[in-house]
Amino acid sequence: MLEVRAGNVGKLEELFDRHHRPLFRYFVHLTANRAASEDLVQEVFFRILKYRHTYQPETSFRAWMYQIGRNVHMDHAGKRKAEVAMPENAGEFSGSEISPDRQLQNKQEVALLHRALAALPREKREVLVMSRFLDLKYDEIASVLKCEVGTVKVRVYRALRELGDRFYALGGERAS
Amino acid sequence: MICDRIREQIPECLAGRLDPAARERVIDHLDTCSACRAEMAELGAVWRGLESMPEIEPSQAMRARFLETLSAYQEGYQEAQRKLAYAVPKQSWWAGLWLRPVWQAAFSAALLIAGVLGGRYFAAPRPVETPNPEMAQLRGQIENLRQLVTLSMLQQDSPSARLRGVTYSYQVSQPDQQVEQALLHAVNHDSNINVRLSAVDALAKFGNNPEVRRALVDSLPVQDSPLVQIALIDLLVQFNDKDAAPELRKLAQDAQANEEVRQRASASLTKLEASK
Repeated sequence: MLEVRAGNVGKLEELFDRHHRPLFRYFVHLTANRAASEDLVQEVFFRILKYRHTYQPETSFRAWMYQIGRNVHMDHAGKRKAEVAMPENAGEFSGSEISPDRQLQNKQEVALLHRALAALPREKREVLVMSRFLDLKYDEIASVLKCEVGTVKVRVYRALRELGDRFYALGGERAS
Repeated sequence: MICDRIREQIPECLAGRLDPAARERVIDHLDTCSACRAEMAELGAVWRGLESMPEIEPSQAMRARFLETLSAYQEGYQEAQRKLAYAVPKQSWWAGLWLRPVWQAAFSAALLIAGVLGGRYFAAPRPVETPNPEMAQLRGQIENLRQLVTLSMLQQDSPSARLRGVTYSYQVSQPDQQVEQALLHAVNHDSNINVRLSAVDALAKFGNNPEVRRALVDSLPVQDSPLVQIALIDLLVQFNDKDAAPELRKLAQDAQANEEVRQRASASLTKLEASK
């Protein structure tokens, strides 16, 4: 990113290749809309170009990118509500060692989990997605959300707890 | 109390991010607390379940679109760099020269001689000069062509093409009213924020036109993106447009406006007032 900031904007292609997939997943979880998520990824990288001089080298690039991502999403969310529901075909789960009955049950449970996650309030879904899917460290999440690391810890736990409540309320099988 | 602290560490424990000592403390607690053990089992199942969710991949077209935007941006950026490279040495050359007393004296003498000769030349009767009409016509045609390309690109469906149009507008040395209006239209009505932001930047060279300044001030309250509002505020300050003050004041006091926009409006107002 330092090279991009110095004017070697072609280097942004490398950053795009490294980060656009997780960024896309982040938006898909927030918007439930694939096409909109692709547009939002484009906007994030355009803003990175435009505001590259504001990047501080001591900040993690990922944290800075997701800060921009949050702003882009807020601009987008202000304009429209999620238009397309999350895809229900969540059952790409496979495992040859698992019996067909168990596979079917797993498929159904993954679909329930998908629904439960989509139904979480945005702030909780966001913090959980950052922690679980984007593999961001707590200090990076704290930097994106502009809060303390301790607050992130509590928020991730509460989000996971609520996801569990919703999942089990939908009929997910409780761990014994 | 202890249970609360332990439970807050469950996600980190499940993600394998706890340091060994903290992990040890969690495990010790779970050995003695059945409620926390049950919590760990429940949340562990949910955490692992999330791993089974399918990964949704972006389309290949997304990368192509990004590369197109990047290339359009690079074109505009390199063009701006080239212009800057021509401008900077000239300035420093003149400035450096002027600072030397020997050259100052030489310049004064040269100016005096030029003044005398110039006076004689202009005083003498001479035939009326006519500009080369073919060259003028050719220049006019190129200029018209550039304006046409800019206008047609600004009307494309694809945001990337419109961005290229905005970038291309930099090459029009004497933009006419149509280009100016097309850029203003993009600022106010384009659905894509990037195009709006770039159009604001492109309008920077129209600072001398009071109508453009007025239109930019009018655009401030109708923009729904804080980023575009901030870009507009910065441009109006760059123009040192005193007429923007009432609108900036309104924005600075608007409780509904984005906090950063309010702060920027307030700071810009101070700057404008200080420059009076």
